[in-house]
Amino acid sequence: MAEQDKLITNLSSALKNGETDEAKQMTQKALDQGLEPLAIIEEILVPALTEIGEKFQKFEIFLPELMMAGEAAEAMTAIVEKATLEAGQPSLNKGTVILGQVEGDMHDIGRNIVGTLLKSHGFKVVDMGRDVPASAFLDAAEKEEADIIALSALMTTTLPAQKRTINLFSEVRKREEFFIVVGGGAVSEEWAKEIGSDGYSVDAAGAVELCKSLMKK
Amino acid sequence: MKHTTRLLDIVERSLRGPLMDEEDFNDQHVTQGLARVVKEFDIKVSQDQIVNQDDALADRVWEAAVDFLSECGVYCQTTNRVIEFSKKEIIDILRYAPDTVIVGQGTDAVQEYARKIDDPRRPLLMGSSIGTPIEDEYFIPSMISYIQEPEVDVTMAPTLTNIYGYDIRTRSPLEILSSWREVELTLEAMRRAGRPGMAFTGIGSSISDVGQLSADGPGGLRQTDLHTFGIVSELKTSYEILNKLTHILQRDGVVDPYANPIYGGLGGGMDGQAVLITAAMIALNVVFMATCVGTSPTHPFNFNDTGKELLIPSGLSFQAIARNSKLMSNLTNTPVGGPGTKTLLYECIALTVMMTVSGGSRILGPRSATGSITGHFSGLEARFTGELLTAAAKLDRAKAEEIVQKAYAKYEADLTTQPYGKHFKDVYDLKTVQPTKEWQTMYDEVKNEAAGWGLSFD
Repeated sequence: MAEQDKLITNLSSALKNGETDEAKQMTQKALDQGLEPLAIIEEILVPALTEIGEKFQKFEIFLPELMMAGEAAEAMTAIVEKATLEAGQPSLNKGTVILGQVEGDMHDIGRNIVGTLLKSHGFKVVDMGRDVPASAFLDAAEKEEADIIALSALMTTTLPAQKRTINLFSEVRKREEFFIVVGGGAVSEEWAKEIGSDGYSVDAAGAVELCKSLMKK
Repeated sequence: MKHTTRLLDIVERSLRGPLMDEEDFNDQHVTQGLARVVKEFDIKVSQDQIVNQDDALADRVWEAAVDFLSECGVYCQTTNRVIEFSKKEIIDILRYAPDTVIVGQGTDAVQEYARKIDDPRRPLLMGSSIGTPIEDEYFIPSMISYIQEPEVDVTMAPTLTNIYGYDIRTRSPLEILSSWREVELTLEAMRRAGRPGMAFTGIGSSISDVGQLSADGPGGLRQTDLHTFGIVSELKTSYEILNKLTHILQRDGVVDPYANPIYGGLGGGMDGQAVLITAAMIALNVVFMATCVGTSPTHPFNFNDTGKELLIPSGLSFQAIARNSKLMSNLTNTPVGGPGTKTLLYECIALTVMMTVSGGSRILGPRSATGSITGHFSGLEARFTGELLTAAAKLDRAKAEEIVQKAYAKYEADLTTQPYGKHFKDVYDLKTVQPTKEWQTMYDEVKNEAAGWGLSFD
């Protein structure tokens, strides 16, 4: 038991330090020792990444460290997910999120933060990148059988593209099939309501909570 | 055209530079590069002192920024190549940077110049909401509220929320129409305010090259106006951006670009941020041939630049530039507070005083309420900023630090609650385009308080 406790502690440290190779090895070892996949996620991954997320919010760590931890978490989740499916258990994926900057918006960094935190909390994230046309969001949503579409706009001049993207989903009668959330520096709660989104968050941590709450609906 | 040779050189480098994946550029060039120079040049930024008093630190930030940029380069997203310049090339190019420029026309023309630390000359003020959205009916009155202020030297339009009832769409006829509409309305506002020759920055409504280029020419943005574009954070460009630059150069316009590093992003904390802001502004001149170099470093959650984590590295960066180059640098003031709040006015004091004594050439804004709340801005905060520029130019860094700390203590707690204040129509009389009594009283009270701290508004 002491050895297992040590493994859990070390795995948590590897995750927080963004040591992907070590995290992968220890995850496999934990599974081999009989730890339940769900326990690995809920008792190791989620607390470690919650701590990392909180440290980022307080600027005790920065984006590079956050992304390294996110990469380690993604690798770890893939191993756990594979073991889960092989055991005939349901997927641990909390939901699939299509994430991107709307058409005309050329920013990256804020979206990277949101994507990393979502992945860290068990969501499958399809990052469409910057300057994404409305039709590309729709195509990706259908192809990936997404749950949530997350539209980011950092510039006031690109806000209409959020509205246009939501309108396209409505026009092709797909609006009810997906949750659509909006965020980014230019977005206000008032705007989010006006364009008929399903939610808005002022920051990355809030985006994770928003997506979690939508998946419970 | 004087810059053709340099422009072709940039294009050549964008076609022949090292091929690289963008993620690798972010990680290996930017993040690791900054970590290296922060260590090598011993960049340790004060966590509390807002106005840097250490010249040796400012010089090390400069050296670190030049070293970093020479190793990092600027990434071209179109060709996936790195535009590289050696340290010697960077220093050689900076020698030829302009140190003064006249913008605007006739009696409304003003001169911008490179300033030094504790320079007694007042920086310029671009009084504007800088692209904050506003409804059509308030567009001209709100612009007049800035242009009519004698303290305002140059201006920029807010953003139209639609064009003739249509949502504006990038790279479409609607974007071209909105670019033209922005120019038409701005010229009309300046004419009505009696300052038709004032320079304005454009084109804010336009994101794409086609939108900007269309209204930058006869009947549109004038040669004597400020021709702006932003580069992509961190240290990235594309042919769309270089297309804008090419057009501005062909017009022999004033090249006025900006780079907005994100705090806590690839540059990490305050140490890396100070180097990154400096390097980005150097790159604006070296790679983008800027006449004036601008920045608006951004907080990733609050979207302002008036917290300590950005005031401190920004000030240090401006001092590094002022001590080691003749670049004309400008800083955008993006407070969380909006009109009708004292928070906004205290934020104006801290950032404006810090920038003035740190050698900045021009301040932009205030982009009140983070520039994201429709109509939450007014000319009164620009008037106050202009008065602060004059008063702060009489200070040295030690006195400035004292005043900035007093102002900061007044609004620090509001940075997360973000009091966005009121809409323009609720803080101004729309017939007279003058502040309401309530907003005017608030301004008078804060101004009196600041005078008590040692700012001389005489």
